[in-house]
Amino acid sequence: MRTGKNACVTGLLLAAVAWGQQIEVVEQPSPSPLVNFRILVKTGAAMDPPGKQGVAALTAAMLSQGGTRQMSYDQIVRALFPMAASVNAQVDKEMTVFSGATHTDNLEKYYGLLSAMLLEPGWREDDFRRLKTDAINFLRVELQGNNDEELGKEALYGRIYQGHPYAHQSTGTVTALEKLTLDDLKAFYRQNYTPANLVIGLAGGYSKDLPARVVKDLSRLAPGLAQAVVLPQPKPASKLRVTIIEKNTRATAISIGFPISVNRSSPDWPALLVAQSYFGQHRSSKSYLYQRLRELRGLNYGDYAYIEYFPRGMFQFEPDPNLGRRQQIFQIWIRPVEPANGMFALKAALYELDKLVSRGLSSENFESTRQFLSKFVNLLTHTSSAQLGYALDSKYYGVGEFNGFVKAALAKLNLTDVNTAVKRHLRATDLDIVIVTKDAAGMKRAILSGAPSGLTYVAPKPKEVLEEDKSIGHYKLETSAVHIVKVDEVFEK
Amino acid sequence: MWRVLSAALVAVLLAGCGSKTETAGKVFAFPYWIDDLPNGLRLVTVNTGFPNLVALYTVVQSGSRNEIEPGKSGFAHLFEHMMFRGTEKFPPAKYEAVLQAAGAQHNAYTTDDRTVYHAVIPKEDLESVLMIEADRFQNLKYAEEAFKTETRAVLGEYNKNSTNPFYKLEEAIQETAFTRHTYRHTTMGFLKDVEDMPNQYPYSLTFFDRWYRPEHVILCVVGDVERQAVLALVKKHYGEWKRGSYQAGIPAEPAQGEPKTTHVDWPTPTLPLVAVAFKAPAYDDENKESAALDLAAFHSFSENSDLYRRLVIEEQKVDVLDAENPDHVDPYLFYVMARVKEAKDVDNVRQQILATFEALREKPLEAARLEEVKSHLRYQFALGLNSTARAANIVAPFVALKRTPETINKRYALYGAMTPGDVQVAARKFFTPQTRTLATLSHKGGK
Repeated sequence: MRTGKNACVTGLLLAAVAWGQQIEVVEQPSPSPLVNFRILVKTGAAMDPPGKQGVAALTAAMLSQGGTRQMSYDQIVRALFPMAASVNAQVDKEMTVFSGATHTDNLEKYYGLLSAMLLEPGWREDDFRRLKTDAINFLRVELQGNNDEELGKEALYGRIYQGHPYAHQSTGTVTALEKLTLDDLKAFYRQNYTPANLVIGLAGGYSKDLPARVVKDLSRLAPGLAQAVVLPQPKPASKLRVTIIEKNTRATAISIGFPISVNRSSPDWPALLVAQSYFGQHRSSKSYLYQRLRELRGLNYGDYAYIEYFPRGMFQFEPDPNLGRRQQIFQIWIRPVEPANGMFALKAALYELDKLVSRGLSSENFESTRQFLSKFVNLLTHTSSAQLGYALDSKYYGVGEFNGFVKAALAKLNLTDVNTAVKRHLRATDLDIVIVTKDAAGMKRAILSGAPSGLTYVAPKPKEVLEEDKSIGHYKLETSAVHIVKVDEVFEK
Repeated sequence: MWRVLSAALVAVLLAGCGSKTETAGKVFAFPYWIDDLPNGLRLVTVNTGFPNLVALYTVVQSGSRNEIEPGKSGFAHLFEHMMFRGTEKFPPAKYEAVLQAAGAQHNAYTTDDRTVYHAVIPKEDLESVLMIEADRFQNLKYAEEAFKTETRAVLGEYNKNSTNPFYKLEEAIQETAFTRHTYRHTTMGFLKDVEDMPNQYPYSLTFFDRWYRPEHVILCVVGDVERQAVLALVKKHYGEWKRGSYQAGIPAEPAQGEPKTTHVDWPTPTLPLVAVAFKAPAYDDENKESAALDLAAFHSFSENSDLYRRLVIEEQKVDVLDAENPDHVDPYLFYVMARVKEAKDVDNVRQQILATFEALREKPLEAARLEEVKSHLRYQFALGLNSTARAANIVAPFVALKRTPETINKRYALYGAMTPGDVQVAARKFFTPQTRTLATLSHKGGK
C-alpha cells in the first residue's frame, strides 16, 4: 500500500479553431457510481507570452495545487482526502485540462471544491513559491537528472520547434520561471480562462441537472474571446541535424524526429497511423523496429515510433488524452543502449526508416496491422475517463466519436493509401537527432568520421544478420550540424 | 483464513465444480468464481460487468524472492523475458501474430513475489489467446542464442532504470536491511549478476522447471466472461500441464538487532533523498498488524498528514514525501522517502520523520483522523475499479499473495475494524530502533 503524492505535474495542451462563445459540453451519462470531470481550457504553453515561458503551466498548477479564496491548499487537500479524490492539471501546447473523479456519494462536495478551485483561485504567495520551485525542479531534477529518455524526447521537440510557439518545454524555461510573478499568472488566467475557451466533459452517474449547473457556474469566469496563437510551419532540418546532450550517465538514449503536416483531422492520418503502428507500436513487441533492434540484436529494452505527442511513455501503455495539437512530429524512440553500441543503434534506426520509406508495408503487414488497430482502438478508451478525454479530442479535431472514426477510416484504407502516405510524409533525412550520452565528443567524432560501426554479440548470429549488420554499419550519416550541449543548459532558456 | 479456504477447496474438489463468492456489502463487489484443476492450477473468473473486453492475467507465485542461489539475482525477471521466446508450435512470430489479430495489449512484469503475464483482448478472442498462453507455459523452448540475446535486453532495462535515484536508494536499503533473505536484492538484481546472465542458460531451464508449474499459478480471467465457458477452455488447454515437485527453502531473515545506515553517492546533480525504513510484517488478512501499518502510513505520511503539511506546504523543505508498506509474502519493510530541496535541511527532515514514528508509538491516533483514512481507502479502491483492465490489475497482486480475491475483502474488513489502539500496538512493535535502516542519497561533490 502506497501513500505517495508526487509534487511534480507536467502537462500538455492544444489550440485553436474558432470555437464558439458558449461553453460547450460533452456528456457521457451512465449508471456508474463514479463521475468523471474533464474541464478543458483551450490554452496552453503555446500561449505563453515571450519571456514568460511556463506561465500557462504554473497558472494551472496554482489552480489545481493551490488554495482558493476561502480555503488554503492544506484545507483543500484535507477535504479531498476522505473522498480519495483529486484535481489534476495537464498542460500541453494548446490544451489545458483539469480532470478528476469522484464517487457519487461525494459528488456535491467534490464539485464544490473543483468549481471553487477553477473560479476563485487564492493566488497565495506561499503556494506560488512552492509550485514555482516544483516546476524548476521538474526541469532540472526530473528531466535533466533522472530520466534520460524523457530528456531526449523533450529536447527533440525543443530542437525541431526552435523559434516556434511549441519550442519550450510546456513546464517553461528555468530562466523565465524564475522571473514569473503572481501578476503574470493572474493576467494569463484573466485572458485565457474565459467561457469561450472552455469545454466541459462529464461522464458517469451524475444527475441530469449537473451539466447546466456547471455551465452556469463556469460562466462566471471573465468574458473574453477564444484565444488562438498563429503557428508557423516549423522549418525542417537539413540532412541530419544532431544535438548531443553531454551527461554523466551509464547508457545512451536516442530520439529521432521531424515535423509532419498530419494531425488527427488530416485525410492521411489513418494511413499514417497504420504505418506508425506497424513500424513502432508503443511498448509492443510486435512492432517492426522492436523486432529488429531488440528481439534480434538485444540492443536495448525497446524501440518505438509515434505520429502524436506521447509524453511519459516509459510509465504507461496508453497515451493520455487531451494532448491535442495542430502540429505533430514523426518520432522514433530508441531506448537506452550501451554507449559502445550507440552509433550502431542510431544507424540501425535510420536504416530501417529508410527501408520503410522506400519499400513501404507489404500487403500482409498492412492487413495484420489494420486488423490489430481495429480492435486495439477499444483498449485506448477502456476507462470512462479516457472515453471522455477522447470525446473532447474528437471535438477538437472535428472527427466524430473516436472509436467509430478510426474503425470506419481503417475499413476504407488500402495498401496504396498507406504506402502513398508513407512516401508523402516520412523520410530518413532532413531530420533532427538528439542523443544523451557521457562521451559527447567521442560520439560527435564517430558521427563525423563516416567510419563503419560494428556490433559485438554475446552469442553467434545467423549469416544474414551479420551481413545486414555490415550494411547498417556502413549506413552513411549525412549531417548538416552536430552540436554538443551540456545537460544543465537544456530547458534553461 | 486458511482453514476456511481449505474447507472451500475440499468442497470444490469433491464436487468437481467451483464456488461463487457472495459479494454483497464487500469492497470487491464483482462476482467471482474459483475453480481448481486436479493439477493444482487455480482459475479465478471475475465478471466485471464492463462489456466486450477480457483481461487474462497469468499470475506466477515466483519473483525475485525465489532467487535463492548466489549469483542468480534478477533471474525471475529475466525469465519473464524468456517467456516471450516461443515454443515449437508457436515460435515468437506466430505467437505475436495471434495477439496482433486479437488487437491485444499484452506485457508482463515481475516483483519480489510474483511474475504476472497480462493481455487485454476482445472477448471473442479469448480462446485463441488462452491457447497460446497455455502452450508457452507448458512447452516453452528457446535456444541458447535467443537466451543470450535476451539477457542484453535485460541489461538495457537495467540501464534505463539506472538514471532514477529513487530506484538506486531502494536497492541500497534492501541490501543493507536484509542479510540472508532474498529480499536483499531488487527484482532487477545485482548489476554483476545481470552482466553475467549470458552465461546462465542452464540455470534458466532449471528455473522454468521449478517454478512454471500449475501449482504455482493462478489464472485470472476478468471482464465480460461467463464462468462455465471459461472453465471449459481452461480445462481443455491447461488440463495436461504436469505438476512439479520442487520445494524452495527461502532463507529466513534473522532478527535485525541494531540500527543500520547506508548512503548512496549519486554521480550527477540531484536533490538529496532521505529514507527511514523499519522491518515490517508479511501481508496478512487475518492478523491486524500489517493492515494497521497501512493505516499508519496514510495517517502520518500521506498528503493528509501533519508531516506533509509541515514539510511540503508550510516549510517547503520537501517536494516528494512517500510512505510505503508494500504487501509481501515474507516480512519486508515499511519505509518513508523524502526528497529534500536543500541539503542543509536533510538532518532536520530526517528528525521530523523519526519524530513522526515516535509519535505513532507514544500516543493513539485521533479517532476522527483514522476514520478519514478508512474512508480514503474505501473510495480509492472503488475509484480504481473503473475498467476490466484496471480490475484485473488490482486483483493480480492479491491472488499472488493468497490465491483468492476474497483476501481483498478480508483486508478491507480489517481496515474497517481497526481502532487507534490497534495502530499504536503495531507501531510500538515494529517502529523500533533495533529494526531500523536509515538511508540517504546525494550528489557526490554537490552542495
